[in-house]
Amino acid sequence: MQIIFFIVAAVIIFRLFYWQFLAKNSFGADAFLKDTEIPASRGEILASDGFPLVTNQESFLIYAKPHELGKNPQEIAQNLAPFLISEKFTTDSARLSDSDREQMKNEVEFKEKDIKNKLSDKNLFWVQLARKVTLETKKKVEEKKISGIGFVQDEKRFYPEASMAAQLLGFVAFDKVGRDTGYFGLEGFWDRKLRGKSGRLGQEQDPLGLPILVGQYRPIQPKQGSSLHVSIEREIQFMVEDKLRKAVEKYGAKDGTVIVADPKSGKILAMATIPTYDPALRGEFDESLYKNPAVADTYEPGSIFKPIVMAAALDTKSVEPNTKCNVCSGPRQVAGFEISTWNKKYHPDSTMTEVIQNSDNVGMTFVAEKLGVKNFFSYVEKFGFGQKTGIDLQEESTGVLRPDEEWKQIDLFTASFGQGIAVTPIQLVQAMSAIANHGLLVSPKVVEKVKDNGSEEEIKPEREIQVISPETALQVTEMMVNAVEYGEARFVAPKDYRVAGKTGTAQIPISGHYDPNKTIASFIGFAPADDPKFVMLVRFTQPSSSPFGSETAAPTFFEIAKELFIHFGIPSGK
Amino acid sequence: MLPVSDFKNRNKQEKKHTGGVKVKLMVVISAAATLLFFTQLVFANGLATDGQKIAQIEDEIQKLESENTILRVEISKKSSLSSLSKKAQEDGFKKPSLVITP
Repeated sequence: MQIIFFIVAAVIIFRLFYWQFLAKNSFGADAFLKDTEIPASRGEILASDGFPLVTNQESFLIYAKPHELGKNPQEIAQNLAPFLISEKFTTDSARLSDSDREQMKNEVEFKEKDIKNKLSDKNLFWVQLARKVTLETKKKVEEKKISGIGFVQDEKRFYPEASMAAQLLGFVAFDKVGRDTGYFGLEGFWDRKLRGKSGRLGQEQDPLGLPILVGQYRPIQPKQGSSLHVSIEREIQFMVEDKLRKAVEKYGAKDGTVIVADPKSGKILAMATIPTYDPALRGEFDESLYKNPAVADTYEPGSIFKPIVMAAALDTKSVEPNTKCNVCSGPRQVAGFEISTWNKKYHPDSTMTEVIQNSDNVGMTFVAEKLGVKNFFSYVEKFGFGQKTGIDLQEESTGVLRPDEEWKQIDLFTASFGQGIAVTPIQLVQAMSAIANHGLLVSPKVVEKVKDNGSEEEIKPEREIQVISPETALQVTEMMVNAVEYGEARFVAPKDYRVAGKTGTAQIPISGHYDPNKTIASFIGFAPADDPKFVMLVRFTQPSSSPFGSETAAPTFFEIAKELFIHFGIPSGK
Repeated sequence: MLPVSDFKNRNKQEKKHTGGVKVKLMVVISAAATLLFFTQLVFANGLATDGQKIAQIEDEIQKLESENTILRVEISKKSSLSSLSKKAQEDGFKKPSLVITP
């Protein structure tokens, strides 16, 4: 009896040993261990009113187990392909033109072949058919009741305001290993904060997949990505985009950009570019649209650079507002080049205020001569040109500012009216904000706060520098108010508000010379001049209705400004 | 000195006494083992049920989170400026011609 008992016990012990130690290896160490990655939700991007400009929606990965399929691959491919093509065609609200229908047909055919090839490979245990498909698509696929097809829950970005501020926001796409990664704009710059940290579920399970509580249970919870609270005011952004879209169409411009910022805090209130793209369907748009021209484009600013040079000259006491120009009676010859005014009209003995009012290139050479290369270069650097502003958008570029030892007199003269120097729109806004803010430069920022679970980090401007004295800032402001009231843009300026501004019409350098028919028309300014609530830049590339900033950018500036006066509750009356 | 026969009787009595203790000990151990076995069964049963409950709760959490995500998306869709302005236009709203600032 005892012998039988011992034999049975030994058999049981051996069998347990076999399952625990020997057979375990053949199943793999994780046979009963569910060790899966728990993806972290990406943080949201919220406008100044707390409304989500970017949030997350449910999405799904669709997979197939080829050896478990209930139907033949061809039939399944035919059933699934129409749902797994671009969302442009699959959304219920899609209005398709004839060419769209043709494109859709081609896409379906291509997808059908792709799915069929994947499903026909019986060596595959598991194959991915599509990623980031919507809940609606998942339901449609489920209705087909195909065995061997499964879903894995995931998340994808959702843009409640569609293409609003697309270039500012950026988008999320896969990196080399298939992880969600932010590209361009805020998504790119703040990617590490937004993505959070994925968790792991290390949990022993019984054969039915239920957790064994006495087993090893060591889940690591995912850390949700931080949310960004941006300074973008939704109403302003919406209005600016609407006005800009209409203006680009009206003036036949290749593109248009508007930046609206608070000069005192450096906060960006709106940043728009037309044409734009829909980040949810970015694959349908040209890749050149992904970059935000407001921070990435470098161009010769033209006459809107004149107030910056004038500010430097006034601050160094090289000139006074009433200093008279003694070289303004005609075109000026310098190193074999002729410098003339934009309209070939000359104003002998004009004051510095009139030089800005008339946007006088010859007058600016007088200012530059008084200022000198060293001072010019020093102030241009202090105003932030030739370096990044530090704005929290991924694709910001530095502009081009050659080393000061390379500068000759002709370079100084042309730079004084904005030629031969390459800047970005955001650098111009930063510099103009300093003039509007009593000479104190506050670097621009889009994100105000980064919020985590329970913690909050306030984002402060990177730089606050007194670039020019408050007196100089006031003098330049008065010159710019005068330019609006008596300059080229006087016909479109509102009569009952004091606006400081300057037009610019920069020719585009092509193959070593300037093309007179291709211009960048712009207007930069701030209002109300005495206590500015906003600084704004409007820029059009190659407007076809008129090449001049005074006839394209200036009217758009004042159209938007009128709406901003109402938005900020700024009463009329000078 | 005891006679030999008495010594034998005493050994027999001692053996009888020791055998009783062994039996009692075995009964106690068996009872304890049985008790522990059933206790473990009860706990294991409880744990198995708890595992199922946890799975259910996790499912429920996932379902609620998923519903929240769907609702959040729906709310933001409906309250976006693009859809509100479209609706305002359809309903015949017009821009005010006169604005009074305080």
